[in-house]
Amino acid sequence: TPTPSAASGTPTPPSRRLLGSAFLQEFRNWETPWAMEAMHMVALEIRLLAEKADRELVMSGKNPDKLQAAGSFLMKVFGALAVKGPKRVGALYVTCQLFKIYFRLGTVNLCRSVIRSIETARNFDFEDFPVKDKVTYMYYTGRLEVFNENFLVADQKLTYALMHCNPQSESNLRKILKFLIPVKLSIGVLPRRTLLEKYNLLEYADIVTSLRRGDLRLLKQALDRHEDQLLKCGVYLVLEKLELQVYRRLVKKIHIIQREKEPSKAHQIKLEVLVKTLQWLGITMDVDEVECIMACLIYKNLIKGYFAHKSKVLVLSKQDPFPKLNGKPV
Amino acid sequence: MSMPQTGKKLEVDSSLKPAYVGVNMPKNDVNAAQDGHGAAIQGSFPVSLCTYVERNLSRCKDDAQRSATQSIMKEIITKATADGTLHTKNWDIEPLLALPENAKGTFMTSNAKDSSPFSFSTSRRSPSRRTKSRWEPVAEEKVTNNMEVVSKEPAKSNACTTWENTRRTGNTWNLGNFVQSRQAPPSQWNQRPSKKQRIGGNTNLTKNGNASSDSDKEQDLTKYYASSIALTNSPEEKKRREHRSKRFERSQGASSKSMSSIPHKNGAANVYTRGAISMLNNRSNGDGASLAVEDIDWDALTIKGTCQEIEKRYLRLTSAPDPATVRPEDVLEKALHMVETSEKNYLYKCDQLKSIRQDLTVQRIQNELTVKVYETHARFALQAGDLSEYNQCQSQLTRLYGEGIAGCHLEFSAYNLLCVMLHSNNKRDLLSSMASLSKEARLDETVKHALAVHSAVSSGNYVMFFKLYKKAPGLNSCLMDLYVERMRFEAIKCMSKSYRPTVPVRYVTRVLGFTRVDVLCEANVADGLEECEEWLKAHGAVLTVDENSGELQIDTKVSSASLYMPEPDNAVSHGDASLAVDDFLARAS
Repeated sequence: TPTPSAASGTPTPPSRRLLGSAFLQEFRNWETPWAMEAMHMVALEIRLLAEKADRELVMSGKNPDKLQAAGSFLMKVFGALAVKGPKRVGALYVTCQLFKIYFRLGTVNLCRSVIRSIETARNFDFEDFPVKDKVTYMYYTGRLEVFNENFLVADQKLTYALMHCNPQSESNLRKILKFLIPVKLSIGVLPRRTLLEKYNLLEYADIVTSLRRGDLRLLKQALDRHEDQLLKCGVYLVLEKLELQVYRRLVKKIHIIQREKEPSKAHQIKLEVLVKTLQWLGITMDVDEVECIMACLIYKNLIKGYFAHKSKVLVLSKQDPFPKLNGKPV
Repeated sequence: MSMPQTGKKLEVDSSLKPAYVGVNMPKNDVNAAQDGHGAAIQGSFPVSLCTYVERNLSRCKDDAQRSATQSIMKEIITKATADGTLHTKNWDIEPLLALPENAKGTFMTSNAKDSSPFSFSTSRRSPSRRTKSRWEPVAEEKVTNNMEVVSKEPAKSNACTTWENTRRTGNTWNLGNFVQSRQAPPSQWNQRPSKKQRIGGNTNLTKNGNASSDSDKEQDLTKYYASSIALTNSPEEKKRREHRSKRFERSQGASSKSMSSIPHKNGAANVYTRGAISMLNNRSNGDGASLAVEDIDWDALTIKGTCQEIEKRYLRLTSAPDPATVRPEDVLEKALHMVETSEKNYLYKCDQLKSIRQDLTVQRIQNELTVKVYETHARFALQAGDLSEYNQCQSQLTRLYGEGIAGCHLEFSAYNLLCVMLHSNNKRDLLSSMASLSKEARLDETVKHALAVHSAVSSGNYVMFFKLYKKAPGLNSCLMDLYVERMRFEAIKCMSKSYRPTVPVRYVTRVLGFTRVDVLCEANVADGLEECEEWLKAHGAVLTVDENSGELQIDTKVSSASLYMPEPDNAVSHGDASLAVDDFLARAS
């Protein structure tokens, strides 16, 4: 699509919008959706042009409001499409354009109304929509679930997107994986290194390693190093929560070692051992804190057992002290 | 935009009568007459006319009368020119115009055909629009909005019709008519005549179907504007206005008509409205060029306070403020200092600070003093637990820091962070707050503390949370305060599940921050123990006494089933605890 190159970007969006409005007026009147592709094109161009215009506005120190305006226009387009009849299959495309705008603007709460229309209105049957639109839609709604920390739902949606995504489209796959991996990590599923390498998602590599090894120091370092990036795409908070899983792995390793040395007493781990281990990893935590972490692990079902305060011993359950997360988020 | 139908009379009800409509004089006529206060009139006039004008103006006691007089004289002059009597009339003996008693009046437009009508400034929101804070006076907001009162409506004018009719009825100037019409209800500023001005000019004003809604909106806006500028006729203020309006005389291209017609019902508003309008009108030198929002001299239209009182109670504004009650900046500085050093309770300070904030807003003072005021208020609010006031201040501060005004921005970004993480469930906000921290911010102690709190909360690490609570810099502890209850309850649940068979109360007291100070002072510890025990019982924990040591313990297994979160004891019947004044007083003093 040749985007109209504007010598001065700013004047074009209004005229584009006039064109768009005019087109929309007519479009409403047409019975069949023969002009759907054209409508989509208009929608796409409006968004791209508005983005460009906003960039230029920011550079010249003015208030970038074009994208927002594009958003309202597209809502109108959506309204025109959300009707009974053959036009409605085009609605998902416009929805995705709207998602892109809202995500870019940071006003993701506006997505809610569109989502509600798509998911609950009787006009739409989700299966009717074209696959590419469905993938995009699932990708964005999956991301929203990540923000809300509904990891199970996020997993479903992002996996759907992954499964149905065009295998040739590497960049899209990468985008999906960027969000799917943290979700999977939260429910205890670790990706293979080869996957990370293939899709150039190596920022997660150290995190995965720390989970495998129980290396808390590595986790903290990895989070620090990629902090900006991770904050920006919004997965930082999710990854932060992996801390407890790393602790768990550490305890498990200690347990394994103790089992080798002295199987009868293996299920009892002294607090001081834990403290020393952490010190060795370069992390200074006092006894109270370590005790607290252990209590949290038990509380959140990462470890089965109990803590005896007086003797300062973590007593593990004899059976399955480290239950698999089994797809249940921490 | 069609010409008004002839024969349609102007309804004489109060909302429609034009009180003042700007005059467009043909170029070959006097345009200097538009200037206020007897400024030099161009050469084509006889000297006697000039003196006549001056004599009339000098009799005027206030701006309203002055502008009324001016307009009348413009008419007279036009008439005279048209008649050809301009030079023949003996202006020296011409009777002086009767002054309108209460500055009311209707003015007629002259619609000289060859005058170029104005074009309106594009209707854009004024750049100085800010997010309204709860107490921000209506006046301020509306003034800002109305400066770009842009009537894009089609011009239809009944007033002009009437005027034309009057003109047609006679050649002679009927002063009597004028005087009478001037007595008409005040500031019945009608938009319509102004619209007529634009017929010649802009043709592409109407958008499909938008015209009428715009005009309605505008009428409302202008109504607000006029009513809110119902002002101050204090002599100092008038002098000031006069002085300010003189500033406009040299400047170019105002949209002279945009303020010229304002429908209004309130009489008192007239005075100031006219003043403002004459100011704006004075800016036009007839070429009709529009004035962009950015070019309007907001400063001249802003109130400059005169009150010298340091102490002033807060009163929510319902109309534009009287400069005599608004304190200028230097007084406000003193007032701030007074509040800072005052011994009185929070309610008093809050009240005073709100009043200071109001004075600052009304005078559009946005500088380091403003920042200091907000920071001070925010700190007091935090200490008193007044989250809503704190939030208001925080949002203003974020905005002011964003505009580059210096202040304790690091301290407040830490508070902001804590607020977002502890009081809202909005992860996106938290993410963006964290992402927007600068390198400098991440090194700041207060910010680091806030981030550490986040880390503790995120992993449920209550030990860390209360450790941080004890050594919180700044007012972080006040913000954490509001989360303490929740954290303690989570901790107790956690401990009940994971500790077996018991956990000593002494331990719980220590790690859950019940001892105020980390000192081994026995009295402190004892206090803490008691408090903790009470708290535990209030939350359903089952306590037992250890046989050997006699120490109090929590029976964790039993407790885990019986823990609950009690009703907050400051719950009020109407549901909003912060409205309970007694509670407030108890907390504040």
